[in-house]
Amino acid sequence: MLELTHLKVFHGPIEAVHGISITVQRGQCVSLLGPNGAGKTSTISAIAGIADYQGSIRFQGADLAAISVEDRQRAGIALAPEGRRIFSNLTVKENLLIGAATRHDRRAVRSDINHWFESFPVLGERRDQSAGTLSGGEQQMLTIARALMSKPQILLLDEPSLGLAPLICQQVFRLIKELKSSGMTILLVEQNVRDALDLADYVYLLNSGHISNEGDHNVFGNDANLMAELTGIH
Amino acid sequence: MDYAIQQILNALSFGAEYALLALGLAIVFSIMGLVNFAHGEIIAAGGYSMFAISALLTGNPWVVIVGALIVAVLTSVLLERLAFRPVRYADPATGLLTAFGVSMILQNLFLLLVSPRPIAVTNLYFLNWPIEIGSVQISTLQIFETVSTAVAITVLVLFLRMSSFGIAMRAASLDFEMVRLMGIKANRVVAVAFAVSGLLAGLACIFIMARRGSVDPTFGFNPVLKAFVACVVGGFGSLGGAVLGGFLLGAIEVGMLVVLPQSYGGMKEAFVFGIVALILVWRPNGILSPPVEKGDKL
Amino acid sequence: MSSLTPGSGFRPALTGALILSVVLVAIGVLVELYGQRYQIRMVYAAYVNLLVVLGLQVFMGNANITNLSHSAFMGIGAYVAAICVTPVKIKAISLPDAPWGLNTFALDPISSAVIAVVITALLALLVGLIITRLTGIGATIVSLAILVIVHSIFLHYTDIFKGKQAFFGIPRVFTLNSILVVTVIAVFVARLFRESRWGVQLRASADDEVGARAMGVDVFRVRLVAWVTGSIFLATAGICYAYFLGTISARPFYFTHVFLTVAMLILGGMRTVTGAVLGTVLISFGLEGIRFLETGPDVAGIKLPEMLGLSGIALGVIIVATMALRPSGIMGNTEVEQLFRRRRT
Repeated sequence: MLELTHLKVFHGPIEAVHGISITVQRGQCVSLLGPNGAGKTSTISAIAGIADYQGSIRFQGADLAAISVEDRQRAGIALAPEGRRIFSNLTVKENLLIGAATRHDRRAVRSDINHWFESFPVLGERRDQSAGTLSGGEQQMLTIARALMSKPQILLLDEPSLGLAPLICQQVFRLIKELKSSGMTILLVEQNVRDALDLADYVYLLNSGHISNEGDHNVFGNDANLMAELTGIH
Repeated sequence: MDYAIQQILNALSFGAEYALLALGLAIVFSIMGLVNFAHGEIIAAGGYSMFAISALLTGNPWVVIVGALIVAVLTSVLLERLAFRPVRYADPATGLLTAFGVSMILQNLFLLLVSPRPIAVTNLYFLNWPIEIGSVQISTLQIFETVSTAVAITVLVLFLRMSSFGIAMRAASLDFEMVRLMGIKANRVVAVAFAVSGLLAGLACIFIMARRGSVDPTFGFNPVLKAFVACVVGGFGSLGGAVLGGFLLGAIEVGMLVVLPQSYGGMKEAFVFGIVALILVWRPNGILSPPVEKGDKL
Repeated sequence: MSSLTPGSGFRPALTGALILSVVLVAIGVLVELYGQRYQIRMVYAAYVNLLVVLGLQVFMGNANITNLSHSAFMGIGAYVAAICVTPVKIKAISLPDAPWGLNTFALDPISSAVIAVVITALLALLVGLIITRLTGIGATIVSLAILVIVHSIFLHYTDIFKGKQAFFGIPRVFTLNSILVVTVIAVFVARLFRESRWGVQLRASADDEVGARAMGVDVFRVRLVAWVTGSIFLATAGICYAYFLGTISARPFYFTHVFLTVAMLILGGMRTVTGAVLGTVLISFGLEGIRFLETGPDVAGIKLPEMLGLSGIALGVIIVATMALRPSGIMGNTEVEQLFRRRRT
């Protein structure tokens, strides 16, 4: 479904990712793991279209090279970015409405929003408050919900657990798990190795812009050295 | 008492004009960080179109008014396409200088193609006649101006709050890239911002024209200089700030006329800008914007 | 810190300034030998503008803060010098109501110039205390406000500045030679300032204000130093202008001149002194050609129509095109001596 080949990503003159290849099948949850500065966010930004890259990114068979940021989203790629980036001065409800800006079935949009408010009553209670007043965990839920409002084919999740308390973290991962079992295709970037391994069908380990290892989670789970490398715990 | 009411009305109508223009500047700035100094030439374009319409088509004032509004909107959108798109993601200084360049080009085009001298357009004088309410003598233009500014602001607020595109525009002023990531076309957001800005300029143009009755190449320069200042005082990028700044500037200006002795009348400008500079020293980012933190102070 | 060009230091700076000076002096000498009076006038005007652009570069270029008040400071320098130097007899006619006995004395040109520079620098210091605390658009707006305030004082405080009328009777003590000397000194000062500790710290703070502060740079102070230094250039330009023409008025110290000089600086590239010189030379000569077209000359037997406004359009196009195609100007971060070194390697 999503296929990156020899992808190089640039930040201005600096090359942050040096030619990696990644495949995500429909319905899979693929994790991209690695330490700070490994190039995870750069990779995901390239897919979303907000970073310069060389090499090819193919989505459902079509090359994305000439496709703008906006059209990538319209093609079904949704991003829940690092740092959440909710629209803090807009209300919770308006944030969700913007997520559905490309849809024209107003009634379905309304019922989807209500669905989110029911499954996350915290959001429902504060639907008319500005989103900036939400806590970190609530903002993360809102970010994921906002991305899903467009009914995407694939969800790019960038560090959803960043800066969250362990308990809230579990809540976020429970949501991701639910999404996965509902059949959503997910590319998950994480530093939180244990949970990400738990979820993933397939894992890529990224280190200083290269893929240093890959495999399904069983392979990783049994390799003690690799776990050490990933978690930094020896 | 009558004198006070009269001056308050004066301040309101001055302020309304500045608020319209400041709002036009602010809506573009909030979305793409561009200080559009060429806004004044959009007003001038509206003024020249009034002349062209009444000379070539019809003197019917309503046609002239609608025509000027359309021309102002088109000019604004066209400027974005031609001049501002290449610098859309550049830093504000680059945008500001580009806008200065555009403003120079247009002013001199008017000079070259039309005339360096003022051109009379008298169709709109009918908007401006004196009436008496109680013992206060005012001009209908002041009422029109204040009322239509209030209407324009209300419509704009409704658009930004209620319509989904309006919500997207508010979102774009917070995080433009994120809005694009939501699949909303950047070009459309920017084009609508410029169109709204042009419409507000067109509206202001009508009132300035009804008062002055003639247009020249630097027609829009001074009003926009004031609007610019109003924006900054109110808090650049904040729409509420633009309106507040506009009315505040109107009040300061009328206040200066009242307070300053006749012989210093010419120095009004110096005092107004001096007060503005002091406001900025007090709050560098304008009144309605929170103090910015540039990382930790060391 | 991208603006800290490698190999910058005092020796290359002197080399660079020397190269620029040779070019400037060569142009001056050629015009003096072969040029006609109006050409000498034109080159003189270009060199006055060069002083302004150099002064602009010192602050705007190094601090990366768009300043639009420079023509006002040039005007202050010009008026102060003019008031000091003009003979009492003339002032009795032209400034009969001048306060504080301004029309009762006259000084020699050098003392007048020194007083003009000192007063301009003091006023700049006062304004600088405010403006250096602001960044970005805020600073630009305050500079704009200053321009409007000063202009409006020139126009309406007629007892001293004569408003819309010309201030006449200033002794014409300067020739093209004098301004050649002044510009050469100015090029050296601007270039040395750029490579000085202040210049380096200022450029660092322009790239990363918080970072520079963390390194112990007193950002406000270095900005203030650059601002006042720049104002000295501007005052000098005003003095040179007054001492050559003999008459001044408020009009030349307003928006038209502001944009002209800003266009010069950004076309050449505001980060370098070479850029300032190059932009000034290119636009000065280019505009002269366009002004010729403006008057509606006969070209190859065809009478062209009069085209007022053409030079304004050209300037605007230069600004827009530079911003769109090459926002850092022709020179970018490169000073002239680096061009030679690069070619050698």
